[in-house]
Amino acid sequence: MADALIFQPKAGKPAPASTLGVAGWVRGNLFSSLPNAILTLLGAYIAYAFLSAVIGWALIDAVWEAKNRRECLDLVGRAGACWPGVKAWIPNLIYGLYPKDQVWRINTGFLVLAVWAVPLFLPWVRSKVVIGLSMALLYPLLASYFFHGGERDLLWTVLIALGLAGFLASWVIAIGEWRGEVRLLEGRRRWVVGGGLYLLSLLLVSQWQLQEVQTRVWGGLFLTLVISGFGITFSLPAGILLALGRRSRMPLIAAVSTTFIELFRSVPLITVLFMFNTMLPLFLPAGVEVNRLLRAIVAVCLFSSAYMAEIVRGGLQAIPKGQYEAAAAVGLGFWQSTSLIILPQALRIAIPNIVGTFIGLFKDTTLVSIIGLFDLLSMARAVGEDTVWLGLFIEPFFFVTMLYFVFCFSMSQYSFNLEAKLGAGQRR
Amino acid sequence: MTTPILSNPTARAIFYQALTVLGVALLFWYTITNTVANMSQRGMSAGFDFLDVSAGFGIGFKLIDYREGDSYLRVFEVGIANTLLVAVIGIALATVIGLIVGLARLSGNWLIATLARWYIELLRNTPLLLQIIAWYFGVFNLLPRPRDSVNWGGLFFLNNRGFYLPSPEPGAQFGLTLIAFIAGIAAAFVVRAHARRRLVETGRMPRVLPAMIALVVVPTLLVFFATGQPLAWNVPMLRGFNFVGGVSVPPSFCALIIALSIYTSCFIAEIVRAGIQSVSHGQTEAARALGVKPSRTMRYIILPQAMRVIIPPLINQYLNLTKNSSLAIAIGFPDLVSVWMNTSLNQSGRAIPIVAMTMGFYCLVSLLTSLVMNSYNRRAMPSER
Repeated sequence: MADALIFQPKAGKPAPASTLGVAGWVRGNLFSSLPNAILTLLGAYIAYAFLSAVIGWALIDAVWEAKNRRECLDLVGRAGACWPGVKAWIPNLIYGLYPKDQVWRINTGFLVLAVWAVPLFLPWVRSKVVIGLSMALLYPLLASYFFHGGERDLLWTVLIALGLAGFLASWVIAIGEWRGEVRLLEGRRRWVVGGGLYLLSLLLVSQWQLQEVQTRVWGGLFLTLVISGFGITFSLPAGILLALGRRSRMPLIAAVSTTFIELFRSVPLITVLFMFNTMLPLFLPAGVEVNRLLRAIVAVCLFSSAYMAEIVRGGLQAIPKGQYEAAAAVGLGFWQSTSLIILPQALRIAIPNIVGTFIGLFKDTTLVSIIGLFDLLSMARAVGEDTVWLGLFIEPFFFVTMLYFVFCFSMSQYSFNLEAKLGAGQRR
Repeated sequence: MTTPILSNPTARAIFYQALTVLGVALLFWYTITNTVANMSQRGMSAGFDFLDVSAGFGIGFKLIDYREGDSYLRVFEVGIANTLLVAVIGIALATVIGLIVGLARLSGNWLIATLARWYIELLRNTPLLLQIIAWYFGVFNLLPRPRDSVNWGGLFFLNNRGFYLPSPEPGAQFGLTLIAFIAGIAAAFVVRAHARRRLVETGRMPRVLPAMIALVVVPTLLVFFATGQPLAWNVPMLRGFNFVGGVSVPPSFCALIIALSIYTSCFIAEIVRAGIQSVSHGQTEAARALGVKPSRTMRYIILPQAMRVIIPPLINQYLNLTKNSSLAIAIGFPDLVSVWMNTSLNQSGRAIPIVAMTMGFYCLVSLLTSLVMNSYNRRAMPSER
């Protein structure tokens, strides 16, 4: 018998070479048609021209060592960047005119913040909300004395001790949860531990005295971070309250919130800054001194909370009515259903926009330079007015721009990731 | 059994509202009494009587007539005109750039899409004020002196004093040409309406575009030449150290317009992209299945649906641009905030009326914008079943 005739399929032909590998990708994405090819060449030319100009100026032709601007100009003229000027000014760009022997306080202050935030990123810590809230509420108390210092009365001492106690308590909670000794943090023991920590901090703080550094000399990146930090910590809770107020069924509360929100949203930030700068001293009793920094912070806080309110309201509107009804059906009151059922969902929806507002706020702090505070932008402008580096404008602006870009871009990427992580349960 | 008063919703609502109103009223009372006391102590006045007083300072750039002796009210008007001018030009430019970049972001061409993405990321993640100052000090300040101006065809000149362009000087009978132009446009619209009717009746669109263009161009040119070309151009000329004649635009204005429109274009580009992506791909496929040409698919199927998503945030960006034009103060362009809230306030000391008038202007603009937006939204919504 001859070999059984069995159907033997031929191997499939490989895909055409023109669609495979790098060449295929280039063909498909860059040169699929004549107009597309022209666009690609045009784009490549633009990219080349831009990158070669920037890299040539900032790296290849740049001067790295010089004593003054004259020396830079003699070496390369305007063809290359003059980085020594920026290098010499870096301490000022970061700390402003803060006394150089006191700069350790700023460094330590931000280090404390970073250490405080560490438990938020540890997987075994479960009380992240408590730690995060304590940080947002109590750190400003600690930091304002750390940065400002000087004489203080009893009330201030008590409040600063509260800040220090919050820091210690956060780490006690974190370590306790790591070692599994949660018994220490339950029931009545919690109050004993808390009280003990507070007394300890009070003892430490009462022995502690720092030299006064007036806000006039605060500046640079430090000042930018202080203003935007205050703005961020204030605007989120205030925005939530305003948004709830605007959606309230009580007409007067809704009217007050709506007026506040619409008023602040319809005017530019610079007019709000000007207004508080000229009128806050008029609003307060004679003799009460409000420094310029505080006026700017108040303006920024009120302005950004109006924007935040609209963002939160958008999140609240996305919550289906069934959630409210279900919360009411299990017997939750307004504050319980809002804080346990509605807000967690609404804020999660609103996260991208909330971070967007934070980025906007961070960028908007540059406006305080117009009312005479020495933020990062003003310090960058000051480089070119220094007699040694006279006329050096582009280099510090370039440096500061990159700094802002790194901050804002990483914030937006972080929110992108957070959104993906929190939205995991929503995806099908 | 009656509910106790503490858990009665109506009673609680009244209580909370009374508390809020009381709080707000107390805050107002506190501020107002303090302000009155402070002002009487410093001899300040809150009246509007200063508006007729001569301001006595010059303004570098003005759209409407202003002389140094004019009143404060005139300063306010000059500031508003300048702010609106910046807003209108900035909005037009930002829309065009934003549309191009937004479409580039969606391009199938990887290189173009990547370039557009980095354009957006780079420019919207840096502060606008920084960009304005960088354009002003980094670009327009470093331009050559008037003697070595950048010269385009002997008509347009760019130097560190500003941008110079020819200005039209219409003669006595130029009005006739304008009338012919407007009549031509009206006739063209009549023709188009007729074509639309034919389209509805027969399903075929008659070719009327050439006729429409001819209706506008031919009579206008005929009248223009018949009346003896009554339009001269005043071309800027270098005289001594500076240019005379034509229209001159200060560098601060150029820097402001460029920075504002480029910054806003990033946000507009993202809005356009999101709007187009919001239209389901099934719409494109359905159009293709019906044999609609790709260019018509975009125009008649995708864009009308995308517009619903695009228009509201777009108007919001226009409003933002208008508000952001107040950053002009940083580079000394005399907009409303700069001449009114800064110079006039410092000179007259009338903080309260000046702040109120400035804020009132911006509130009015955003109120009008939201009215326009709401009515457009109602009309632009395609009818749904």
